[in-house]
Amino acid sequence: MTQKNGIPMFSPNRRGFLQGMGAAGLVGAAGLTPRKARAATAMQYMCWEGYDKASIIQPFEAAQDVTLSIDLITDSPGGFAKLAAGAWRDFDAVSSDSPWIQRMGPAGIAEFIDAGEFADVYDSFYEQFRAPFAPLEFDGQITGLPTRWGWVGPTVNTQFDDLDKWSSYAPCFDPDYKDKICVLDWGDWPIMPMALYAGINPYKELDDAELNEIRLVLRALFKNTRAVVADLSVAQKGLMDGSFRTLIGGGTYCTSALRKDGQKHIMSIVPEPKDGLNQGIIWMEATGIVKDPVDPAKAKALLRHLTSPEVAVELAWTEATCNLVPSQQAEALFSDEQKDVLQMDYMWEAWDKSHFHDVAPNIDQMLEIWQQELAAAR
Amino acid sequence: MQLPSQIIEATGIEKYYGTYRALKNMSLSVATGEFLALVGPSGCGKTSLLKILAGFEDLSGGSLMIDGRDMAGVPASERPTRMVFQKLALFPHKTVAQNIGFPLHLAKRPKPEIGAAVRRMLELMHLKESYLNRYPHELSGGEQQRVALARSMVSQPQVLLLDEPMSALDAKLKKSLQAELKRLHRQVGTSFVHVTHDLEEAMMLADRICVMRAGEIIQLGAPAEIYYRPADAFVASFIGDTNLLPARLSPAQDGFTFDCATLSCTQPQLHAQQVAPGAENGAALVMIRPEMLRLLAPGEDAECVIEGEVAEYFIRGASIQYRVATRDGTEIVMDIPGTSVLPARNGEAVRLGLSVADIFVVRG
Amino acid sequence: MAVMDKSWRDAALRISTLPLLLLFATFFVIPLVMTVLLSFQGTQYYRLVWTWDLKVWADVFGQAHYWKIMWRTLTMALICTLLCSVLAIPIAYAMVNRLGRWSEHVMLLMVFAFLTDAVLKTFGWVLFLDRSGVLNGTLQALGLPPSAVNVLFTPSATMIGMVYNLLPYAIFTTALSMARIDRDLLLASYDAGASRVRSFFEVTLPLSRPGISAGAVLVFVLSLGVFLEPKVMGGGTSPMAAELIRQSFETRVNWPLGAALTVVLIVIGAAVLALAGSVAILRARRAA
Repeated sequence: MTQKNGIPMFSPNRRGFLQGMGAAGLVGAAGLTPRKARAATAMQYMCWEGYDKASIIQPFEAAQDVTLSIDLITDSPGGFAKLAAGAWRDFDAVSSDSPWIQRMGPAGIAEFIDAGEFADVYDSFYEQFRAPFAPLEFDGQITGLPTRWGWVGPTVNTQFDDLDKWSSYAPCFDPDYKDKICVLDWGDWPIMPMALYAGINPYKELDDAELNEIRLVLRALFKNTRAVVADLSVAQKGLMDGSFRTLIGGGTYCTSALRKDGQKHIMSIVPEPKDGLNQGIIWMEATGIVKDPVDPAKAKALLRHLTSPEVAVELAWTEATCNLVPSQQAEALFSDEQKDVLQMDYMWEAWDKSHFHDVAPNIDQMLEIWQQELAAAR
Repeated sequence: MQLPSQIIEATGIEKYYGTYRALKNMSLSVATGEFLALVGPSGCGKTSLLKILAGFEDLSGGSLMIDGRDMAGVPASERPTRMVFQKLALFPHKTVAQNIGFPLHLAKRPKPEIGAAVRRMLELMHLKESYLNRYPHELSGGEQQRVALARSMVSQPQVLLLDEPMSALDAKLKKSLQAELKRLHRQVGTSFVHVTHDLEEAMMLADRICVMRAGEIIQLGAPAEIYYRPADAFVASFIGDTNLLPARLSPAQDGFTFDCATLSCTQPQLHAQQVAPGAENGAALVMIRPEMLRLLAPGEDAECVIEGEVAEYFIRGASIQYRVATRDGTEIVMDIPGTSVLPARNGEAVRLGLSVADIFVVRG
Repeated sequence: MAVMDKSWRDAALRISTLPLLLLFATFFVIPLVMTVLLSFQGTQYYRLVWTWDLKVWADVFGQAHYWKIMWRTLTMALICTLLCSVLAIPIAYAMVNRLGRWSEHVMLLMVFAFLTDAVLKTFGWVLFLDRSGVLNGTLQALGLPPSAVNVLFTPSATMIGMVYNLLPYAIFTTALSMARIDRDLLLASYDAGASRVRSFFEVTLPLSRPGISAGAVLVFVLSLGVFLEPKVMGGGTSPMAAELIRQSFETRVNWPLGAALTVVLIVIGAAVLALAGSVAILRARRAA
């Protein structure tokens, strides 16, 4: 285990990390009696924006005769930490970024699910998401089902730039693009693509030299950065009017809603592999059952509900963002227009040129470097 | 430069607040060095007039000259007047020295000069020098009063405007400050215009008194004139417990004869000077000041006699006040010099005597 | 002062203030103590570990960028306080003394603006200040080159946002103080020979000091915690303390670090207020 500034850091490999999580989880759960299972009339659901859409929640509430209280998260690690700090006792279901759902089972704050029980659901998915689905698995145990996905790569306004221009992140460091780059202030998301551009796979354990490379690439990025933006609408506005030529740390999540509104000249792509290293990132959200739900049957029903083709279409198509879903059966329910908006003709190309997003072992050091370089930027 | 004999000359002054006419075609002049009191009930316009003199309010009509200069468009800060405010308006964040020296400080006088002037005022006001660095709230009410006076007099204004500055003080302090104000006026020779609703105070202080009502001057004259020759019943009853008895007046040779039910006179004849203008014909009121009456001994006679019985009496030190009920139900007030042997008691039948010369008649 | 001294010796009075004291203890002191205690813990696997050590503090004192951000926060807060106090004086003066019957309408408009969601207002500013926004559009229509004012996403924009959002606090407290000044004092000043301008500096300004100071304290404390303005209007490239603390708590899930940085910010704020307070007391004593 590495130590930096006295704070225990992640273990050298993912396995050790997950085991550590599990151990901590057991400590956290020790001495607590589980809530008694009973027919629930109220459930608590922690999720990202979009899952709370009325056309998704209301049919479930009606069918199951239950009221869902929604707790929107704005930060995946923050949501994990909240559950781990004890909120798991209050919640029944959670939808978050897949690496965090994956860790919730071993950490003792989410239920493992039986792949056999959800075999029909897996059968409705694209084969890339079928069991055994590694990104949500640990030691053969599965936490949660995938619910939404997309890719992270340059977002391009083709009225200002050709798509070819962004076959690499190189323009981010081009003096011609000074004051035209928008970096999304979304935790690790903007760091990962920059690390990949620097030739470093950030999902591995990194040494000091590699971390320094990341420092240098962030420093160079901030030189060209016009703004570090947390709000999607500010970022989108800049992308539309050309003041931002790209949004770093974003992708389909940022562009699809604009395409839905007819702005077809806005696209998300994945850069070409550089020196043998894929430059794109696939992000995925999953939904899991929080440890000891009040009513396990209804919690499972919520998982089935969210992954059903009809609901998947609803989940793909929300006000602020539009995203891909793992359900292959849902594809038939999308119109051609919707498929175009979601860039579905491009999705497997993006998939092939990408890494699958995970919690990076050195993420805290990277975030610290981010803070330091940002503090020094102006 | 020749001083104009009239420091203030107001001609045909009008003041409207919206549609309300606060001052009606008012003309008034104040002589250099004069002490003029503006007296009247609240709402009579006396404070409006003072504010117009000070420049805090604009005229709606008429003209105002102070020290021979037309005051139209001249702001308060450039007028040769100074105001002493009812609530004193001492600056709470300035020391006594800073308060008193403020007008000189504004006039950019050199510091030693300001210091000397402040000390001179302190002496004039009988204030201790140790007060110089105190703040107003550390002083008593009377001391604050003197500081306010000192501030308004330090730059030797030609006119001092006083807006009921004594109204908040208790009776004893008021008396001593009134005496002091009179002394100050004599010492500095500035013209004072003093607003008060207390005619007694005005009589004690002023050279001339201007009695106002509803935006108009009712009477303007020396205190004795106001007291003994009031213009009407309003002025007559404005001070003390005046007896006003209904009477009928009829012209006669060299004056008038009168007929008053309460009063039986051997020769009810009055000189023209004993009758206020406007009272010459018909209904009138006979004014008898309480101190004009005397208690008649049995068998003693007087030019005029009132009969009745003692309803009440008050021993007031120097004088005794009797309230005598006459047969027709009128109550007569009489002040006679105090004496160790009470001349009459409650319920006792008494006869009050009066000289015809002490009678004054106003319009009924 | 004598009355106040005496009242503290009154047992009944002391007992009657007990509920308030307990309220303060519960909702102010206890969370503060917990924050301090939290800063001596550690984290492991995104969970709190009760380590009781100084490792987080060693980190806080060992990292220059925390202090850079704290320094930036402090200077921005002080500049904002100064700007708000200075701007509030003429605005409050106009509202109290010059606008007459319009002052109520103006006050109402200000309260509306004040109560409007800060996110909305801040976005309004983004649209206004943008290179292709309302301001530049207007200036271009007036014949200036396009994008004449390139202020959005700079610290200046952060300051505009801060001043805009915090100015009402300064205006309200200052106006309240000015409205309480006896009008006779101004008349007395005019009467003594002072012009309106002179009277303002001799009477109105010194007597408004309590309101100006109260406003300054409010603005200062609130500006130490600004979050939206540096992030949205400032373009996030000059983060301030609140954003640093949010990142520590939420993104890095390092609660002890967030707690330690919170303590640092509170101490800096309290120290500045204590310094300003003692200077004021010293000045008052010297004047007396």
